[in-house]
Amino acid sequence: MSDTYTPHAGDDRAADTDVVALLIRQHGDIRNLFDEVEQTSGEERRDAFRRLVRLLAVHETAEEEVVHPWARRSVPGGEGVVKDRLAEEKEAKETLSALDEMDIDDQRFLPELRRLRTAVQQHARAEERYEFTHIRRHADADALAAMARAVKAAEAIAPTRPHPGVESAGANVALGPLAALMDRAKDAARKAMGKG
Amino acid sequence: MPFNPLEQRGIPLDRQLRNWRELNVEPIDPDRCDPYTRCRIITMNGIEVEAVLFSHHLARHTHDPEIKRQLARTRYIEAQQQKAVNWLLPGVSSVLETTIAYEQVAVDLTAWVARMEPDPYLQQAYQFGVLEDFDHLYRYANLYEMIEHRKAESIVDNLTEVMPGRPTRYHHRDPYDNVRDPYDRTTVNPLSKLHALTIMAAEQQTMNFYINTGPTYMEPIARQLYQEIGLIEEEHVTHYESLVDPGETWWEQLVNHEYNECYLYYSFLEQESDPKVKAIWELHLNMELEHLHTACDLMRRHDGRDPQEILAPELPNVLTFEPNKQYLRELLATQMDLTTLGAGYVRDAHERFEKMQEKIHGGEAPPSDRVMAEHDDMFGREYRVVSEGEHPDPAMREI
Repeated sequence: MSDTYTPHAGDDRAADTDVVALLIRQHGDIRNLFDEVEQTSGEERRDAFRRLVRLLAVHETAEEEVVHPWARRSVPGGEGVVKDRLAEEKEAKETLSALDEMDIDDQRFLPELRRLRTAVQQHARAEERYEFTHIRRHADADALAAMARAVKAAEAIAPTRPHPGVESAGANVALGPLAALMDRAKDAARKAMGKG
Repeated sequence: MPFNPLEQRGIPLDRQLRNWRELNVEPIDPDRCDPYTRCRIITMNGIEVEAVLFSHHLARHTHDPEIKRQLARTRYIEAQQQKAVNWLLPGVSSVLETTIAYEQVAVDLTAWVARMEPDPYLQQAYQFGVLEDFDHLYRYANLYEMIEHRKAESIVDNLTEVMPGRPTRYHHRDPYDNVRDPYDRTTVNPLSKLHALTIMAAEQQTMNFYINTGPTYMEPIARQLYQEIGLIEEEHVTHYESLVDPGETWWEQLVNHEYNECYLYYSFLEQESDPKVKAIWELHLNMELEHLHTACDLMRRHDGRDPQEILAPELPNVLTFEPNKQYLRELLATQMDLTTLGAGYVRDAHERFEKMQEKIHGGEAPPSDRVMAEHDDMFGREYRVVSEGEHPDPAMREI
């Protein structure tokens, strides 16, 4: 494997003026983290998994707060498209919470993780094909840029990139449980969308 | 005992039709499959598409309605085979992911064929072409990281290196120089006929894939890169199809097609690691044996010749998907600066080549260069997978 690191969406030098491009890159970041969790063990795996949980949580929250409402409002037939996506997200979140409470050494961990990975990947492609395509067709440049800013604001509340050595139990406790994390991401997204 | 398709019987044609349930194959898992399983699927899809298209062309040149009906019967089964094979590809893969897999096929299939090709002129044609597919893999891999933040190694899995080949901008030649000389059907090694047919079919399918999926992208650089490489695939189809002796009769060509399908299904059956996919190769081999016998009968009837005259006495050594890293590195070290002149190859940029370059680039950087510039803007580096050391050509090393 090459040792070049792909920075997370938002940390590369892309202009991030298009929420769809940003989210598609983030779908790749999520897959990369799944790879990392599967390929590591012990503390390294624990750390990678924590980052995966955080990224998934803030990513899904940002989509629910920023992108889905826009699609529901502005895309013809958007209501139905979003309804399907939310059902997928609900299922993924449940698996995620179950995994979050499990120890990485638990025998059920890897099989559950792979189940989650498959579900998340199917959900991501469905978003890209059935929701994002329509957003790009109907949103103007300002709307795409505004949504990109809001997504980034939501994600700024929970660092998900690796900081070797800095990763400590303290930092993790400070972020709190998953539900609280999602709440804070929600607030940040709403504020950025001018609804805070 | 060596496998001789002429001596084997398969499933009778009237028992080959599959219902929807049987056609509803379970796709491979893109994150956990053997990359060469995916390569075999893509190859056989190209082979089946060629079988169907060839049969359509043959039918359009056939007067006798009974023969047209016979061709239609076999062709319908081949159309089902194409569906069963290509539907093994998973819906969760993006077009770019499938594209990178197509390029892995182009690289490792063409490299293997080049290594095994007994005729030096044909071998040169494959060696020339593979360095271009190799560069396409590199360009698409960089586009993939830009759009999806994923690395091509998650697809090619270190079996194939990713780095510059002959730069894509130089692939645009005057069409006059894309036509090669054909082999001589009366003297050529029968294996060479199978090689030419296989690579032609694979490149044709690659062309069809790019020219149909390219415009589904919204990112301007992606649309443009597919357009550019789609045009190079047109050159590659011209290059490889001209290797086939046009003096082969229609029936002879039909026999070659069916024999090649037997050869490839047999080859892949021998190597397949995925049991579900393996079962499909086995089933299809047993179908192809009957298609071959039907084709042989047609050749005997219409050409008054025995197909054994044109076929190998036994099935050649199996065609294999395996890493070709060292072989490719030798070619990278020695053949990067080749272009074509007429039906041959030269190292110097000649007048016709220069003119074509000037016209098609219009004084601007082509999409294949711009994708690298845009990738660099985003990441401050390029993407390569170099597992065996630095690039063999010092001029192509990363600064």
